[in-house]
Order: sequence, then structure tokens, then C-alpha cells
Amino acid sequence: MMEVCGSTNVSLREFGCEQTLLSRPDGSASFVQGDTSVIAAVYGPAEVKVSKEIYDRATLEVLIQPKVGLPSVRERSQEQCVRETCEASLLLTLHPRSSLTLVLQLIHDDGSRLACFLNAACMALMDAGLPMSCLFCGVTCAINADSEIITDPTAAQEKESRALMTFAIDSKEQRVMMSYTKGSFSVHELQQCIAVSQKASENIFQFYRDSVRRRYSKNL
Amino acid sequence: MPTDTKRVRGPEVSQSPTLFLCKHAAVLPSHGPRADGRQRDQVDVRPVFVRCGLVSQAKGSAYIEAGNTKLMCCVYGPREMERKDETDMKCGKLTTDMRFAPFSCLERGSWIQGSQDKDLSLMLHESLQPAVCLHKYPRSQIEVNVMVLENSGSVLAHAVTCASLALADAGIEILNQISGLQSDGEMTEETLTAGVRTCIEGCYKLYPVIQQALTKAVRRAAPPPSES
Amino acid sequence: MAAGFKIAEPLEYHRSFLKENCRPDGRELSEFRTTTLNIGSISTADGSALVKVGNTTVMCGIKVELTNPLVEAPGKGFIVPNVDLPPLCSSRFRPGPPGEQAQAASQFIADVIESSEVIQTEDLCIERGKLCWVLYCDMMCVDYDGNVLDACIIALLAALKNTKLPEVTINKDTGSTRTSFCVFDDSILIVDPTAEEEGLSTSHLTVVTDEKERLCVVHKPGGTPLSAEKLQECIGRATARQREIQKLVDKVVHSVKTAQ
Repeated sequence: MMEVCGSTNVSLREFGCEQTLLSRPDGSASFVQGDTSVIAAVYGPAEVKVSKEIYDRATLEVLIQPKVGLPSVRERSQEQCVRETCEASLLLTLHPRSSLTLVLQLIHDDGSRLACFLNAACMALMDAGLPMSCLFCGVTCAINADSEIITDPTAAQEKESRALMTFAIDSKEQRVMMSYTKGSFSVHELQQCIAVSQKASENIFQFYRDSVRRRYSKNL
Repeated sequence: MPTDTKRVRGPEVSQSPTLFLCKHAAVLPSHGPRADGRQRDQVDVRPVFVRCGLVSQAKGSAYIEAGNTKLMCCVYGPREMERKDETDMKCGKLTTDMRFAPFSCLERGSWIQGSQDKDLSLMLHESLQPAVCLHKYPRSQIEVNVMVLENSGSVLAHAVTCASLALADAGIEILNQISGLQSDGEMTEETLTAGVRTCIEGCYKLYPVIQQALTKAVRRAAPPPSES
Repeated sequence: MAAGFKIAEPLEYHRSFLKENCRPDGRELSEFRTTTLNIGSISTADGSALVKVGNTTVMCGIKVELTNPLVEAPGKGFIVPNVDLPPLCSSRFRPGPPGEQAQAASQFIADVIESSEVIQTEDLCIERGKLCWVLYCDMMCVDYDGNVLDACIIALLAALKNTKLPEVTINKDTGSTRTSFCVFDDSILIVDPTAEEEGLSTSHLTVVTDEKERLCVVHKPGGTPLSAEKLQECIGRATARQREIQKLVDKVVHSVKTAQ
């Protein structure tokens, strides 16, 4: 019933992922989407500062480091998006009065960076072995001037687009956990983009499964 | 100059258009009534409007408007001392913070607190300290936050009045209601004493207004028991 | 008794109300608090507005200044929105530089301005490559009782309408309004949450629509997942709210104009 703008297959760029690539953090992962690349590291559960202590659950802190310079307001707002998504999927109540820190370092930005942050974060949390209620993945859709929906756009495609949307989709029921949009669009277009993202999320979750399987087949 | 990474940044430099207006500097008249028609050398205070208990989240709050000067004060506490190492077993701690909204002055102020704000905070602290019964609140802190929404003179004086009103609204024990008036300029000893005297007289004029506002706030908070 | 229950078991307290389709302050689930608007109250600002949504109070002041446009964008001016949540408005904020919430709010407002094209930055150019206007829009929260983003947008919009540039007046507005929702226990939707409700809910959603009923921003910073039907419901409510606010702003702007 949902016509996906001409093409039924969702095109995503080449994905790549490596887990446990850093030795110091409790969990780490790098995630590559085309030319966009992010490294994520998770520390914790560890001791928490008294001022940040929450008595019935763990305190999650997300830090996003840009490629150059200091993090600015834009990074702060993306941190908020990633943090609240992670908070919803992690079972934080299992670690009361402790701290979790997630550091996301942008290596190269070629579009869909928020989606890449989310994917790297999920892989790193998995690697750290933290209990989660579901997995999540990030998908970015761009609507270009001809009203075509492009999934996983590059920086150039993002620049040309009329609207840009990033969703976080959960693995259980494939519902929208987070949405971040830019530009103006109609309700119908929003619904279409969500449908496309849900379709794309299947591919990403399959990729998650494959890369984790590959990793453990080596180790065991 | 360090860049502010915690706010949306604009261009490096910008100038207010008022700088480019060709206007001759306003000379204050040295005789006769003042620019806004008030009398010189007399206790001629601008009309004052005060309200208590406007901010729902604060323990006590007050708003004061005198002429075009508008400010707001909120009191939080007494609550546990934030920095445990500074805890005083006998006496509470009073903290004051006074800030100007960026749009409060003719020239746009920066968000970062300047030295002027800090000076004013300190002066406010000094004027409030003797009046608050801090010995009644051991090991706790009381926070006084003042925000200047519009500045058209005598900010400190009205801040003091407003703060004492908010303290009273918060139910914190104070020895006396205090109110402030300000007069500026270079002074010799004689004019100074005269100035102080006028200020004190002016303050007496303010008291009834303050008392009225307070009773109003208390009435609203605790309506008289109705016969049922 | 009720007060004790509220403090000991805040979540249960709210649930017992929601079961009956109402909220502790007597509102229905999809009912907004009364919104009042006052514009032009600050004479030192070039445009100002004070908005009250229930107890939440936000003041927006706009200062206009002159500057040189960027070399990369010679034909564009600047809009610099910043949200401040000072320690004055709630005990949850500390003095010092803005915290994460204030920064995320500033970025959100900047995104809304960009997406909704409330003001075209091209219109702020005076002489291409030489001189342009910069609008510093500072939003100051005076009383924090939930739903600040809504109040900020209304204040910004009203203040922009109130702003007059020395030579040109801004009237390129395509008014946009946002609506906040909270999701309770993963299934119950409420609008216009208070600070208490915000703290207890599991997810927030913000929808911004413009005059032509196009969506500008659908912002949901994480939290529990939401199904498509619920989303549709939110959008429907947001467009209705947009019309209400538009009417309010127009009425106030008109009344100020006639008073002058």
C-alpha cells in the first residue's frame, strides 16, 4: 500500500563495523557508512559523581567529539538525541548509582552522521555487554527537490535536499524511537520516510547480526 | 578571545545601529526639574509596582517595576549546602547572583557574566547579609537570584528591595524589610550626607508599597478561613 | 493524605488520574494550559514578548545590530537564537554556562528557524557583501514548569512580529507553532506537560507546523518507541494548536498596533 517513490529496494551505502578495536574502554566499535566513519567507546558501569547520581538507575553520559575543534551547540543537541535513545533501550535500572559513559568520535563526515553515531553507539553498547531491552539503529532520509526519498545520503546529497530526517528504529517492533528533522515536508512524506526507514532498518539489523556472528566465529 | 562553544554563535563583531545615529549627546539639565519631570533635591521616587509570588518553582519570588527598570528576584532554599567542605555548622550561607538579560540595556550585553554583574552581586550580598537571620539556618544555603529584565537606572537599589521582598515571600526569617535607593555622581562630604538623608526618606516612602504587596501575597497564599 | 501520596509515589499518583482521563491539575489529556501573550514590554529591546503557558513563563528580547556578512554567504544576514535557563527559573539549574538542556534548546530553535524559514536570512542583507543585520534573539525562561520549547517558539514568533528594523520591517513570517507531547507508560499521550509530568514521562515528542500546515520539525529525542497511529494523532493535534496560537499572536499584534 505504501509506494516507495519508484524504487522498492532501499539503497544503503557500503557498511563496515569492527568491535573491540580499543583496549582501554569496556566496549568499543567503529562504524563506517560509505565515507562517514565514527568510533564509539563505552566506559562503565563505574563510580558516579555524587552530583550526577540517580538513586534507582545508572547515569548515562554521551560525549560527541567533532573531527576538528571543540564540541558546539550542534553536538550537544545530537548528544541529547543519542543519549535519550540509549536510555530507552538500555536496562539502566540494573545498575543503580553508577555511571555509563559513551564517547563518540567522528572520524570523517560524509552525510548521515547522526545515523552513524546511533549505529556505532549500539554496536559499542553491545560490545560492552550491557543489558538492553532491544537494539536500535539510525537511518537518515533526504527528500530532494524532485520529491524523491534518498536513504543514507552523502554530504552532497544532504546539501541539495529539501528536507532531511533521521530516525532511530527499534529492533523489536520497528517503531520510531527518535526523530530529528530539518526542512519542511508534508505529513504524507513523513509517513513515507518512516516506512522507508523501517525497511532499511531490517537491512541494518541483518548487518548487525552478520558482523557479530563473524566476530564470534573467529573468537570461539 | 576564547570562543563560546555553549551557545549559538553569531558574527565576530557587530555594532548597534544607535552608534551611527547622529545625535548630540544629551546634556543633563543642571537646574530645574529632571529630564523626566521629577523634582531635584527632593524625595521624588519613580512610581513603583511590586508583586510577590509570581514564579511557581521558587520558594519565594518578587517582581519590581520602577519607571522602566524591571527586575525579578527568586529565592531558593534553605537547602543542603552544595559544597560539603564549606559547611558551617553554626550559620547558613547566603549566595547572591545578579544578572542582566542581554536585551536589558541599550547596548546588547554578552551572556558571559561581566565584572559589573559580579560587583553588583557582591554589593547585593553585602546589603542582604546583615538582615537575614542566617544563624537560624545552620548547615544550609539560601540562594538569591536576581534577573534584570530592563535597565533604566538604579538597578542595585531596586534589586535590594526586590530581594528582601522575595526573601520575605519565601518565609525566610529576616530582621527587617530593607529597601534601597540610589544616587550617583561625584560627591563631596556635604552632598553625600544630604544624599543619604534623601535616600532614607525615599525608602520610608517605599515601605507601605512593599508591605501592601506582602500582605496581598500572604492573603492569596492562605485565604482567610471561611465560615462553613 | 493526597499530598503525602503524591510525594511518596508520584508515578502511581499520576497514573490514578490518567486512568480517569484527566490530569492532576484538572486538565483533560489533550488540553493545553491557558496561554497569555504580552508584546513590546521591554523598551531597551528592539522587539520583545512575554509568554505564559500556565506557570511557564518565557521572555524573548530581540536586539538588532549591524555587521559584515560572511565571505561564503555575502547576501545573507544572521539570526542568532539562544535559550537561557537561568538558576532563577527552577532549582534544577545551576549558575554558570548553559547546561545541556539549554544548549539543545538553542539548537532546536535554530533548527526551527532554518527549517520553517520564518525569516529569510537574505532579507536581512542591506548591501551585498558589505553590510547586513544580525538579530540576536535571546529567550530567557523566568519560570520553568514544563514545555519551555513551546513557550520559547511562541515568544520568539511574537517578538519577531514586534521587531522593527530602522528602515525595513520584517513581515516575511510564515508563522510556525510547535506542540509538545509526553508519552506516559508507553501508551498514554498528554499534551503541554508540566515540569512534574515531564520528569515522570518516558518520552517526549515535539511537532512544529507552519501556516500552510506543512511540518517543519518532528523532534523526538529518544525515549520509548512510538507507533505510526500515535504519531498521526500528535500531528493532528499540533495543526489544531497551530491555528489557535496564530490567532492569539495576530490578535495581540493587532491590538498593539491599534493602541499606538
